[in-house]
Amino acid sequence: MRRIWKIYRLLAAQNLKRLMEYRADFLTGAVSFLIDQAVGIAFIFIIFTQIPQLAGFTFEQVLFIYGFSQIPKGLDHLLSDNLWCVGYFIVRKGDFDKYLIRPINPLFHVIAETFQIDAMGELIVGIGLLIYASPNAGLHISVWTVLLSIIAVPFAALIYTSLKIMTAALAFWIKSSGFIIQMVYGMNEFAKYPTTIYSLPVRILVTYIIPFAFTGYYLSLYLLTGSDPWFSIGGVILVSCVLFAISLFVWKKGISAYESAGA
Amino acid sequence: MIYAEHLRKEFKKTVKSPGLKGSFKALFRPKKEIVVAAEDISFHVPEGEILGFIGPNGAGKSTVIKMLTGILTPTSGFCRINGKIPQNDRKKYVREIGAVFGQRTQLWWDLPLQETYLVLKEIYEVDDDRFQKRMAFLNEVLELESFIKSPVRTLSLGQRMRADIAASMLHSPKVLFLDEPTIGLDVVVKDNIRQAIMKINKEEKTTVILTTHDISDIELLCDRIVMIDKGKNVYDGSLRELRENFGQSRELIFETDPSATLTTDQFRNGLNLKGNDLVIEREKNTFKVRFNSAKIPVGKMLSYTLSLTKVKDISVKDADIEEIIRNLYRQGEFMDE
Repeated sequence: MRRIWKIYRLLAAQNLKRLMEYRADFLTGAVSFLIDQAVGIAFIFIIFTQIPQLAGFTFEQVLFIYGFSQIPKGLDHLLSDNLWCVGYFIVRKGDFDKYLIRPINPLFHVIAETFQIDAMGELIVGIGLLIYASPNAGLHISVWTVLLSIIAVPFAALIYTSLKIMTAALAFWIKSSGFIIQMVYGMNEFAKYPTTIYSLPVRILVTYIIPFAFTGYYLSLYLLTGSDPWFSIGGVILVSCVLFAISLFVWKKGISAYESAGA
Repeated sequence: MIYAEHLRKEFKKTVKSPGLKGSFKALFRPKKEIVVAAEDISFHVPEGEILGFIGPNGAGKSTVIKMLTGILTPTSGFCRINGKIPQNDRKKYVREIGAVFGQRTQLWWDLPLQETYLVLKEIYEVDDDRFQKRMAFLNEVLELESFIKSPVRTLSLGQRMRADIAASMLHSPKVLFLDEPTIGLDVVVKDNIRQAIMKINKEEKTTVILTTHDISDIELLCDRIVMIDKGKNVYDGSLRELRENFGQSRELIFETDPSATLTTDQFRNGLNLKGNDLVIEREKNTFKVRFNSAKIPVGKMLSYTLSLTKVKDISVKDADIEEIIRNLYRQGEFMDE
């Protein structure tokens, strides 16, 4: 374990150094990210100039859900961004070879290679919104609700990571799965808002099939209502563990189907 | 040490239409073609040997190396290296091997070389003391000193290859797989790399499998050759044996006065030879007569030429390995037909 941590630290430190070097790239990323977030938040503002409540939630509560949903998203983004590259080109170009001839877990190796500082944007916006919205959102604050919610955050992030592992691993068979990761990942847009505003098929989709609802709406529900922790917190943990197990299985199968690329 | 038994690898090639829709179609209803990259490859390498693994482009060399290193899973057949089956016990197995794929670096593109070795040190759990000694050794034979602080992406091809080879040797592997380690390099760097391979083989009894198109690599390094073509074994034995069996091509070079003419037809008719058994090339005053010494002895060829024209100088060239391989391939193709 100490070895794993040391390797991770070495690689992450290198990533930060690289960041300093490619500053233009970093700034462009930060600006496009800010625009994206600004649009999302402006959308909520506009809706609430027209209506007082959205599916029974006040302005602050919706902002709280939005903010909370950005935290697991940001955590996953920070830690496992390299999975996109697996889907887009690492497998297709045969560059996956090197992960297979090193005596550490290839999945860990891939993930450790990138420490995506861009994700700070999501984390800052998320935490900022929580701080802004919390006083007036009518939260049920107790040791339990806060503790359980904090515990659930890494599991919610694991839902993101698992979905990315699964879809990235498809590249082992079809060579390039970037589009598919994009499509599945894109569903997280639904997690930012109360799931109850969507039609039934969408609700089923984001709850049971691509369960992003657990990373935002259901995750915040316990703090908002103070009831039913088994569904919201238990659900997040259960769903993430099941998904993670499936994703590891798919990944492992994928590796034995890996075909490399001509030299 | 290394056993490869009837290794076979088929690739399924998916024919797919472009775009997202195409990807989806391919995901659910793939249209597949099967390509056989390695049909039936077997060989055995004892400990401490340097094996030259050769064959023309597309013969399946890289595919076999990738199966031996555990990157690819064989469709059928198996390999056992150091008592381990690479695909079954990957993490333990790769600790004992080093691999270099000449066409593709395994180093981190943006990391300074030195830091790359520090990361590898942790990955392979090399202790500080051994790491220091190892780096000193690698520095000495591969001359890394001048560029060890530069990021990998700024290295020249020769530097990068030396860096890659050093990386593969850092953890003192028992087996080293080198897939075209000298490709595209100049003579000095090639020599550097050969020295490193020889030293590590001698001092640590490292078993080496080497693929190359450079004949001098084989002549200088390899104890034995395994040659494959179209995914099958073609030859397995020493270079000397290969020379004896297939190296009957000889070259006589005559320097004559400018007025002399020697033509291929003249020789073919006079000596009753056909096709590839005799070829003459002219370059100003020198004639190169390449012939099959199994069909006509060198002495007879010499006296025949001397009877035709006045000769100022003569030299005899032994068959080089490229010619031998060419002959072997020709024979192989002939047998196929």
